[in-house]
Amino acid sequence: MMNGRPADPPLGLGTYEVVEASPGPLTSWEAGNLVVDLESLRGSAAKEPAVEAVEVHLVRPGDPVRVANVLDAVVPHVKADDPEATFPGVLGRLAPAGRGRSNRLGGVTVLSVCDLRAAGLVEQDELYETFVDMAGPGAERSSFGSTTNVVLTFTPRPGAPAADVDLAVRRAGLRVARDLAATTIGSAPDREETFRPIGTGDDGEDLPRVAAILQVGSEGSFLDTFLYGLRMEGLVPTLLDPREVLDGALTNGAYEWAGSRNATAFYQRSALIHELFEADGKSLRFAGLIVALGYLNTAFEKQRSAMLSARLAQLLGADGVVCTTFETGNSHTDTMLTVRACEHLGIRTTAIVTETNGGLTDHVPEADCIVSVGNEDELVPAWSPDRVIGASAGRAGEPVPTWAYLGATCQTGDMRWRAVPE
Amino acid sequence: MKIVHYLNQFFAGLGGEEAAGHEPVRIEGAVGPGRGLGAAGLPVDVTLACGDDHFGEHEADALARLLAWLEEERPDVLVCGPSFGSGRYGYACGSLAREAGRRGVPVVSAMTPDNPGVLAAEGAAYIVPTGSNVTEMRTVLPVVAALAGRLARGEPVGRAEEEGYLPRGLRRNELADATGAVRALDLLLAKLAGDTRTEVAPSGDRVPPAPAVADVSRATVALVSEAGCVPQGNPDRLPSRHSNMWLRYPLGGVASLDADAYESVHGGFDTAAANEDPNRLVPLDAVRELEAEGRIGKLHDVFYTTTGVDTPVAAAAKFGQEIAAELHEAEVQAVILTGT
Amino acid sequence: MGIPTVFVTALPTIAQMVGATRILRGVSITHPTGDPSLAVGDEHAFRRRIVERALEMLATDVEPITVWEVPA
Repeated sequence: MMNGRPADPPLGLGTYEVVEASPGPLTSWEAGNLVVDLESLRGSAAKEPAVEAVEVHLVRPGDPVRVANVLDAVVPHVKADDPEATFPGVLGRLAPAGRGRSNRLGGVTVLSVCDLRAAGLVEQDELYETFVDMAGPGAERSSFGSTTNVVLTFTPRPGAPAADVDLAVRRAGLRVARDLAATTIGSAPDREETFRPIGTGDDGEDLPRVAAILQVGSEGSFLDTFLYGLRMEGLVPTLLDPREVLDGALTNGAYEWAGSRNATAFYQRSALIHELFEADGKSLRFAGLIVALGYLNTAFEKQRSAMLSARLAQLLGADGVVCTTFETGNSHTDTMLTVRACEHLGIRTTAIVTETNGGLTDHVPEADCIVSVGNEDELVPAWSPDRVIGASAGRAGEPVPTWAYLGATCQTGDMRWRAVPE
Repeated sequence: MKIVHYLNQFFAGLGGEEAAGHEPVRIEGAVGPGRGLGAAGLPVDVTLACGDDHFGEHEADALARLLAWLEEERPDVLVCGPSFGSGRYGYACGSLAREAGRRGVPVVSAMTPDNPGVLAAEGAAYIVPTGSNVTEMRTVLPVVAALAGRLARGEPVGRAEEEGYLPRGLRRNELADATGAVRALDLLLAKLAGDTRTEVAPSGDRVPPAPAVADVSRATVALVSEAGCVPQGNPDRLPSRHSNMWLRYPLGGVASLDADAYESVHGGFDTAAANEDPNRLVPLDAVRELEAEGRIGKLHDVFYTTTGVDTPVAAAAKFGQEIAAELHEAEVQAVILTGT
Repeated sequence: MGIPTVFVTALPTIAQMVGATRILRGVSITHPTGDPSLAVGDEHAFRRRIVERALEMLATDVEPITVWEVPA
């Protein structure tokens, strides 16, 4: 035991880089080479009863391919010391994430594709296009344009309820992600990171204490975020161990707007959590991670949630907080109210939001420190790919708004894009 | 140099208000103010014209036809207007400018700074600010001609403040050196150390509040809403999203928005609660009660409705100006506007 | 010359940002002037109070961008 506290083991995260990925008879990873048995993955994904058919494609950066109707992006990940507990609660056995040993592949992403509108599971104007371009001017808009992608294209079983299809597609994508990463068990990683519980280091007692408030959304079918497998609707702001977020406790099931979507990969890779751990004891103390809902329906609920988030930040002893945002629209009001509630408690804030051609979606005078992750309305020049996966036309040959590229204006801070005056 | 000029029905000589429904036309050479552009050194090759009402009511079609002509002509610059204070004309100029800009055509226009056309253009046009008086035409045309000529010749145009056009307000994306997360922590730590900086700030126009109603018990009050409230069956097809229209419906003899007579077609929220009782969106029953008790003078006999989701700011500004003009004409003294 | 207007909305911060001058906080995005959780009679009385508050605001000179609440 350290300092008289019960043991809270560190999380060891090993990254196994993939420099070459190719189809082959048996899925394996060896010294940077990933071989993918496409038929085996297809069979594994198609086992879901609510899925009628699955296709598997391997696409690489530079391929003249546009992937359309992308729902989620998942980093291949496995709990090496307990594979059955990978993505606990949704795929794996329920067990605490964020401790022990996990392996992930670098340079590979699993993309799940499904044309929900064509399947009649959502109305024509409920969800919008989602693209990942592997080449052309849009490739750098989505971070998945620069990874080798294992693309799973799902056809739902006709008549299957939306909730069943939703779970099936998510689970199948996570299963493929786990099985790809499982090829690394027993091998030495290219990079090893160790994450100790926050607050256990001795350095930097005088440094400013900084917390993060991670905003998620959970509004219903195809609009949900999942914590250990269950929807987060009704969530009161709560604390998570940031290592749980890195280790698969949070998965995405929200598909409304591509550009500002928090794909599962953004939780797994979380630049903000990584940077906070990296800076812990050097320029700041990482005070903790709060998770709170955006898109609450009433002013009362929004203010109450903002108040509770700010109170948690105060209980963590935070001097400053970074507030992230989930998607577009009235979730920006939740962000701004959270900023205001924190500032009124003397906790300084920085908010991360996306802009539109019409400027900021919402604002409060207390929000004097904002990171802009880009203008989601900016048009990306037209491109004509040789092939479109997941849709028939996919806007080939037309300019595409930034908001249609997966994660292009992700407001968790994972991208380098920002908007500047022309 | 190939110059194309866009005018509305009036300036193109097609007629006055009665020609506001005129379909798009293509006219060889310069017309009306276009001759003034020629005199100022910018000879117009082709004039395109469209009735302001036709544009407003059939925007997609009108744009398609106008853009098709632009595609044939491939002008070096497009001049739209001047539209001065006319909101409908300005909106058409700004919308055409935006779409022409997307297709790589430089555009110059001229209108009042608060014209909805400025928003509609979304920064695509270099807009010379004018007053609302058409008599300014003689002084505005040479300024427009000079700016358009430079754009047509590919000469560089300086910043708005230097050159006298309205700031275009464009924000473009670029890759920073660091992720948003790194930038957020840098900004937060700087703020905690006393140095507050931001990557973006809000911009919004400010209108002073109208003076309070002197005597509400004698005032005519109107109801306006963006909650998509329409008669059952949506007879005039108010769009659920990205509406290009607002509608007015009579309230004479209507004491309450009953669930079997009215509904909401708004596509931006769950309309179940509203459709059980549309008064939850537009509080007609309560207003009628208060009217009967003499708490207000009277309720205006029509209510105005649109759907406020995915509405471009420029369109919303235009609707607001148009509805306000009617309310002003009808001597309405106060408005209760409900939003979702 | 403007017409005094009260904007009833559940999102007053957006209204503040765009510069609406008289803002009355509404109940919910899905029912700004109603509350399905109340009994019919109570809801009707509540809607009256919302409209009365709106009328009060119309009759009051305000600083630009003012938000009022409806008393419970």
